[in-house]
Amino acid sequence: MDKISALMDGELDERQSRQLFSRLKQDQELLQCWRTFHLIGDALRGERALSDDFDRRLGSRLLSEPTVLAPRRSTARHITAYALSAAASLSAVAWVGWVAFSGNPLVPQSPIAQAPSTPNTPRPVTSPPPTQMTSIPSDGRMNEYLIAHQEFSPSTAIQGVAPYIRGVSDTQMVTGRQ
Amino acid sequence: MKAAWLILLFLAFPATGLAAEQDDPEDGLSWLKKMASASRRLNYSGTFVHRHADQAETSRIVHYVNAAGGEFEKLETLDGTAREIIRTNDQVTYYLPDTKTVIIEKRVPRRIPALQPEQLADVSQNYLVRKRGMDRVAGFGCREVVLEPRDNLRYGYQFCIEAGSGLPLRARTLNEDKKPIESFAFTDLKIGGRFNRDKVKSRYAAEVRHWKIDRSALAVAEVPADTGWVLIQQPPGFRKLMELKRSLAGRAGAVSHIVYSDGLAAVSVFIEPLPKILPARSLSHQGAVNIYTRAVADYLVTVLGETPAATVMQIANSLEFRGAAK
Repeated sequence: MDKISALMDGELDERQSRQLFSRLKQDQELLQCWRTFHLIGDALRGERALSDDFDRRLGSRLLSEPTVLAPRRSTARHITAYALSAAASLSAVAWVGWVAFSGNPLVPQSPIAQAPSTPNTPRPVTSPPPTQMTSIPSDGRMNEYLIAHQEFSPSTAIQGVAPYIRGVSDTQMVTGRQ
Repeated sequence: MKAAWLILLFLAFPATGLAAEQDDPEDGLSWLKKMASASRRLNYSGTFVHRHADQAETSRIVHYVNAAGGEFEKLETLDGTAREIIRTNDQVTYYLPDTKTVIIEKRVPRRIPALQPEQLADVSQNYLVRKRGMDRVAGFGCREVVLEPRDNLRYGYQFCIEAGSGLPLRARTLNEDKKPIESFAFTDLKIGGRFNRDKVKSRYAAEVRHWKIDRSALAVAEVPADTGWVLIQQPPGFRKLMELKRSLAGRAGAVSHIVYSDGLAAVSVFIEPLPKILPARSLSHQGAVNIYTRAVADYLVTVLGETPAATVMQIANSLEFRGAAK
């Protein structure tokens, strides 16, 4: 990951760059890193940024919901995605990078994705209700509910380690609170 | 020599080795009971992998109980961004080194003690509990206990429970097709050991005074209440566990919260005033938890639980406002 940012900053020599580029072609995780870092860069420069992994998600969303063109995640909620999905998560890296620059992790001011919402305000509807319900992975908007729920769930209680796993996700969630 | 062969055979075919003594429901339940308290009662430290969807994340956990019964726990992520969580009884502290932030939270002491007799009765009514053979996880022999749902309103579970201590070494949640949708498993584990405060101390303890400290999560309020909402059609096997009004991060007003459970799985119903812009009806999932959101009259209803989507939707669709709760 360090190498990628070095590459982007032009700090690698030609041989190192070539090596990294060929690794990028093979290593999906690394490639996602590369894309994410560019996304962060775009966001910092104030360029209109697409959400992380936009191409893949756009493709899959188009298949299920032809009318959706705008990503509707709020950046604050990107946080949640992170711990939930560990290292390989794009959104995580995107969020972490962004927060590091914004200086205040608790008050996101300019979302990376162009979704003009905060946890406090109602989120705009960007898509009509799908005609057929297909379940999509939770993007973190439901995390406050998840936390509140988990305290009461017997299955959480007996699995022992499970609550703490979700506890890790809490981290994100809590950070996303206002 | 003969003994060594027997051991080898046993290791190679753990599930078949003791197939003869499976299927005893009483025994299965007593294993569950043993497991229910083990992770809070024991000293242990280890590494575990949590899988859900196509992702896996590895974390390290240290858990100690001191002589006075105080619980100390440290959890840290081993991949991705560093995260550390320290729990001392009901206080939970999150360390986020990348943003130099500390978040302090108080957990309400668990209101649902794991597997009380009443719950056990519910569990065996809704699940077929079977004791299976022995398996091996993280170097420990463990007893497989399987919970098969008696209908399609709930998921199945598979536990592998460490034979001596009762600690769950592996837990899987299985969907309708008996495919695991969420699991955790230790890959490395030490059970027992003397209490050592240093092992449950944050590695960031020294630098933390320069970090930002967020205590906003401490102010969570909740009161038992009659919310006025009822289920016209309660799914079989589920009963209302509790009903309350609570604060929820990001919401100005109180949110109604009702919990239904079948003894093991729980479904939460959250009801709040509709936001100005109506959110779309949506179905999503997080690990084994399905989440369904819809509007009912002037309210936004969010129903979620570690059950199949159909159960969550059925509950959401049979909610009705009866009372005049404020």
